[in-house]
Amino acid sequence: MTTIALNVNKQAVELSAEPRTCLADFVRDKLDLTGTHLGCEHGVCGACTVLLDGVPVRSCITYAVACEGADITTIEGLDEDEVTTELRAAFTREHALQCGYCTPGMLVSARDLVLRLPDADERRIRVGLSGNLCRCTGYVGIVRAVQSVIEARRARSIAPLTNGGRTGLGPAGSGRAAADRSEPQPARQSPVPARESIAPGSIADFTPATVLDQGFTLAHPPAKVFAMFDDVAGIAACLPGVSLTSPPRPERVEGLIRVRLGPIAASFEGAARVERDPATLSGRIVGIGTDQRSHSATQGEIRYCLLPLEGGAATAVELSIGYTLTGTLAQVGRPGLVRDLARRLVADFAANLDRHMSGVPSGPKTSAELSVWSIVSDVLRARIARVLGRRSGAG
Amino acid sequence: MKPAPFAYERPRDLDAALSMLAASNGSAKIIAGGQSLGPMLNLRLVQPELIIDISGLTELKRADVSGGELVLGALVTHADIEDGRTADVTRGAMRAVAANIAYRAVRNRGTIGGSLSHADPAADWISALAALGARMTLRSCAGARTMTIEAFVVGALESALQAGEIVESIHVPTRSASAHWGYAKSCRKTGEFAHAIGAVLIDPAAATARVVIGAIDTAPIVLTDAAGLFGGRIAADYKERFDAGIADAVLAKAGIDDVVQRHIHVGVLKRAVQEAAA
Ligand SMILES: Cc1cc2nc3c(=O)[nH]c(=O)nc-3n(C[C@H](O)[C@H](O)[C@H](O)COP(=O)(O)OP(=O)(O)OC[C@H]3O[C@@H](n4cnc5c(N)ncnc54)[C@H](O)[C@@H]3O)c2cc1C
Ligand code: FES
Ligand code: FES
Repeated sequence: MTTIALNVNKQAVELSAEPRTCLADFVRDKLDLTGTHLGCEHGVCGACTVLLDGVPVRSCITYAVACEGADITTIEGLDEDEVTTELRAAFTREHALQCGYCTPGMLVSARDLVLRLPDADERRIRVGLSGNLCRCTGYVGIVRAVQSVIEARRARSIAPLTNGGRTGLGPAGSGRAAADRSEPQPARQSPVPARESIAPGSIADFTPATVLDQGFTLAHPPAKVFAMFDDVAGIAACLPGVSLTSPPRPERVEGLIRVRLGPIAASFEGAARVERDPATLSGRIVGIGTDQRSHSATQGEIRYCLLPLEGGAATAVELSIGYTLTGTLAQVGRPGLVRDLARRLVADFAANLDRHMSGVPSGPKTSAELSVWSIVSDVLRARIARVLGRRSGAG
Repeated sequence: MKPAPFAYERPRDLDAALSMLAASNGSAKIIAGGQSLGPMLNLRLVQPELIIDISGLTELKRADVSGGELVLGALVTHADIEDGRTADVTRGAMRAVAANIAYRAVRNRGTIGGSLSHADPAADWISALAALGARMTLRSCAGARTMTIEAFVVGALESALQAGEIVESIHVPTRSASAHWGYAKSCRKTGEFAHAIGAVLIDPAAATARVVIGAIDTAPIVLTDAAGLFGGRIAADYKERFDAGIADAVLAKAGIDDVVQRHIHVGVLKRAVQEAAA
């Protein structure tokens, strides 16, 4: 717990709260100011919008501890506010609410538009309110209400707020803490999570939710590469982030995979089985794993197939990586980012494998800049070929 | 949807922040505006032991023009730029980009340094600032280093930031009087992350063009010498000379296999070119 001192609706408040308490929970749970609503809790819906040092912010992704010394105004603090009073009347007149869940956040955002944009037309109002979702009204009444208040104030020649209502630079609400309050606290030691051991048993087949196809080439003959793929410990050493926890057997390989996507880090502990078919130079690794920290589980499989290149001197390795994630990490709804991660991991794997097979020590990676010029000449060559092809086809 | 518990520190100055970061051995995360980290904490995608709040550091709130470039501290917010509270050397280019990031309530806290550090491929600044030719300064206890935006963004959510390093400032060169600017993005909903971004800085007088194709699920494609997209030379008629076929080939070469995706990216880039020429 940390003591947090700030001002809510013009009242000084000093309360203890955990650093992880968001501003919305702080005002709702500690001060009973339940007019601030929580919808999505990740910045998208706008239901939690409050004023922080006079300007709208999301109280779900702003932590109370980061607002030390700042001024917070919730919907309850806008009872006497001139613009909000006008907006409330307009909302009533235009039927701008039904269930009212979005309304506190909507009013805070609308008030900001009225103050900043005296010339806003319907389009600008719609854009300005795009960060506040309403599931009931279809927005028509809300937009009309805001537009009527803006027009009425324009008719009364009320000037817009200068400087967007801010004086200094930086995040709203920041830099208000008194210097003597910033004494460091001892860093907390996080408890080591108890390890659930993976029940030994068969690793089932599954249908992956996502499949990524990747490939690379190696300057070694397919038979040599296939033999390399049989060396489970060697392959594991080339796979970025993989470590084995016990001596591997084909029917059961136990280990750990550490993956990192930007700030997201997970460590899946689990087991896999390995299958291979020498006739087709192909194989499959199927595994399951859990990340204790994020309570996430994954099932994954890597299918590979080796094809001869350059008359058998080199090998094309075709990979099909399939996985299904459940739990907290499954919330990463951006398959494109995972694809980019897989691309980078496979590139590292290919480079490690190549070094391992050639016995070359690892060197620094060089990344080539994409040059338009080489592409231009490729395209031109293709175009010329097409034109020539068409001519010869016609003639 | 509450974050896992974390400890919290509010360092008094930049040096203190850097020492805390160095001492944490990777178990700490910096928080600036919290507009990208907050959602990840709430979803428990990130569970740091310690959060170091840099949002109060005055050293990171500067905005001044010196030596023909604008130096912005990492904590300058999107709204600061949108409202013109910072000087502008880009003749409105940065203001327009800032005004169309997310929503006002997010812009009031989200910072330019946080956006770059987060390195989300779909974010606006990594593409816009790469097109403007900006550089950034990173600082750690060991000292400072400066690099271009395109060198900084390595991949999806991957930047060149090393452990113990923070983004200190962003350096934006003055846009020359003859340089045209165009910026277009495609979003399914206003304020949402983009599905395609096109940013162009074309100077017909100097016969130069920088072109960025962004929001491609990895680091943006930055073409510092993009004359090839315009029939080999940059002149006043560049809009007519824009070659969609070459743009498509650039995207294919960058590994974008989906024809529909490439079509959207080429279309958005074309809109940026048209805006520059308008
Ligand atoms: C609903 C919503 C919609 C959005 N839409 C868009 C959009 O359309 N376009 C867009 O570009 N962005 C969008 N954003 C993101 C927004 O722009 C964020 O403000 C920005 O990405 C992060 O800035 P921040 O200051 O909040 O960083 P934080 O969330 O505090 O930090 C982000 C990351 O950067 C690190 N970090 C922060 N500052 C520094 C520093 N100085 N040095 C080193 N590391 C640092 C943190 O450790 C963290 O990993 C959206 C956000 C939300 C919530
Ligand atoms: S609850 Fe804060 S934006 Fe949805
Ligand atoms: S009135 Fe019900 S969500 Fe808007």
